[in-house]
Amino acid sequence: MDRFVFLLGTGLARGTLFALFALALVLIWRSTRIVNFAAGAMAIVGVYVGVAVTGLTGSYWLGLLATVLAGGLVGLVVERGLLRFASARSPLSGVILAIGLVIVLQSLLGIAFGQQHTPVRAPFDDRPVQVGGVPLLSPYDVFVVVVALGLMAALRLLFVRTTLGLQLRAAAFEPEVSRLLGVRVARMRTVGWVLAAAAASLAAMLAVPKELGLNPHAADMLFVYAFTVAVVGGLDSPGGALLGGLTVGVVMSLVTGYLGATLTPVAVLALLVVVLLVRPSGLFAAAEARRA
Amino acid sequence: MSLLRTPPTRRHARRTAGTFVALATIVALTACSTPAASPGVDEDTVTIGTHTPLTGPAAAGYSSISAAASAYFDYLNDNGGIHGRSIEYVVKDDAYNPATTQTVVRELVQEHQVLAVVNGLGTPTHSAVLDYLNENGVPDLFVASGSPSWDQPETYPWTFAFNADYITEGKVLAHHAQQTHGDDAVYCVLGQDDDFGIDFAAGLTTVLDELASTQTYAVSNQDVTAQIGAMQAAGCTVNFLATVNGFTALALGTAAKMGYRAQWLTSSSGGDYPTLLGYLGEENGPALLEGLVSTNYLPFSDDDPWVELFRRVNDEYNGGAPFTGNTIFGMSVAYTFAEALARAGEDPTRESLVEALKSGDVVGNGILPLGFGADSHRAFGGVGITTVTGGVQDYVGEVWTTDNGDGEVVPYDGEAVALENEGIPQS
Repeated sequence: MDRFVFLLGTGLARGTLFALFALALVLIWRSTRIVNFAAGAMAIVGVYVGVAVTGLTGSYWLGLLATVLAGGLVGLVVERGLLRFASARSPLSGVILAIGLVIVLQSLLGIAFGQQHTPVRAPFDDRPVQVGGVPLLSPYDVFVVVVALGLMAALRLLFVRTTLGLQLRAAAFEPEVSRLLGVRVARMRTVGWVLAAAAASLAAMLAVPKELGLNPHAADMLFVYAFTVAVVGGLDSPGGALLGGLTVGVVMSLVTGYLGATLTPVAVLALLVVVLLVRPSGLFAAAEARRA
Repeated sequence: MSLLRTPPTRRHARRTAGTFVALATIVALTACSTPAASPGVDEDTVTIGTHTPLTGPAAAGYSSISAAASAYFDYLNDNGGIHGRSIEYVVKDDAYNPATTQTVVRELVQEHQVLAVVNGLGTPTHSAVLDYLNENGVPDLFVASGSPSWDQPETYPWTFAFNADYITEGKVLAHHAQQTHGDDAVYCVLGQDDDFGIDFAAGLTTVLDELASTQTYAVSNQDVTAQIGAMQAAGCTVNFLATVNGFTALALGTAAKMGYRAQWLTSSSGGDYPTLLGYLGEENGPALLEGLVSTNYLPFSDDDPWVELFRRVNDEYNGGAPFTGNTIFGMSVAYTFAEALARAGEDPTRESLVEALKSGDVVGNGILPLGFGADSHRAFGGVGITTVTGGVQDYVGEVWTTDNGDGEVVPYDGEAVALENEGIPQS
């Protein structure tokens, strides 16, 4: 039982990070109907800025703020400067541009900062609290959970309660009609990209202290797992991203603990396949009628 | 239209014949001027190549090796080269992707016409070109991996290993642990879920019979909390690691966060102090790494003449890059190749290069001489034990040798290979 509780705690901590990054993917999907394959590499650019700011000022919080701002800026530049020119006829051209962008960004970061991993320290104690002799969540894990819940609530408010949110959704679902009704669709797309890129940078900044350190590839696997999470949870559901993230995190932890690490990627893939077969829109997706 | 059907004039025919004669003369002359006619060797250069990750996730751990080797070749070239020829080292990036390895190695052999492939890096990557190189009779020297696969002279006569193999490392570390901690300790292992982890664990169990917990990790998941938790729960007191440097750092860091203390012993592939310190940071790293036991087979101590030479070459020819185990590894490979080339005769060929290695005359620069011979392509037959004491990693005790079967682990009573002539091999 102790072992199960331990693995559950580990999985939840890990899953929250996936969920946070998946939120960024959901965000961009809701506002532009694009799966951003460059999300990981773009997020890491923001993290490099944040870590530099923390190094210069000595303040983690300034660094975190800088990460979010830089991430948003990267989103703006990428949308206005690159993806705007993707052919609207085929969704594939956006995907291919994004993959090209990944290669360019990672190479540039490698040239500028080198390929080595730079350790990034957590702002809080990252030692798990022992409950009845079983190591559970650390204060840092709790911080990540709080940030994830806060971000989710904020996004929900934005999309459901504000005019901007309504415009974002309208522009994504029915660009033509929205344009006729006076919504500046192009601007909405940009706003969507900026928000999503900022959220992704935030997620990556929080994930880096839990991994090997900062390097141009630091968000690669995070992106892969978060993509799974977003699909499992439903690409247009922020709540789905959170639950999907926790599900994937716990499945990975339990499989690693009971069956061995070799089977973990297989288990994640199996989960993905089962969800796509049984409920292709995702476990927690909104009702059918919402999907335009 | 009639133009097309006009037969060639006599003048035209004569000119064609003339061209043929001229061409034949050129071919003949070219053949005369290079009697050696071996691929990769001309009047003043010897061209060799390698495949290694310079980009992609694996680059972080390995890209400094080929840079160090190139720096050492530059040093040799500035000091006259080998038999008056300078060595050109063509480094191809394969991003640690076996499919890319196949492409770049074919480029090296067919386009660059290399004399040999030297220090191709990685078990999965190099396995993809093992047959190709051997079928084409291209010397495949000093593979950068501890897989025992490179020592199969019958099946792969052109392939020679470099690293001490993982089985040997496992056996020597297990032997050391048994001597130090006795039978009361609880022995466990965390290994990579591929040949590395499997071979290393096989070496351990040859000596220790039983391990209380065997954990694995996949490089795709940088979270080893579940595995370290299992080791803690199993009461492991002495833990072996068949991990690359990044995962050694993760294992030590995770254990520290969980308040779990144990003795850690790691393979040389994941036990390089400066690299580990890079992952863990100057602040926490030294405390976490204190007492870490590892193995090595190359010159290593700060006051070793080889290390002093390599530091000098690193400053002068490698832009003063961080000096790590990878630097020593890359330069040692470069030296060893130069030594083999020096022994392969005035006009080296692919055959004479391999013959030089099979003669057993090439000894390298390790803490024990290379074990190459007519029926052995195994580079190092043993390793030394290193520990970290007061922030300094150095050899302790004896050098141990063993086979990669179930033979005994015995102390080596010879000397380390001494530095001669400033590291410039003479024939």
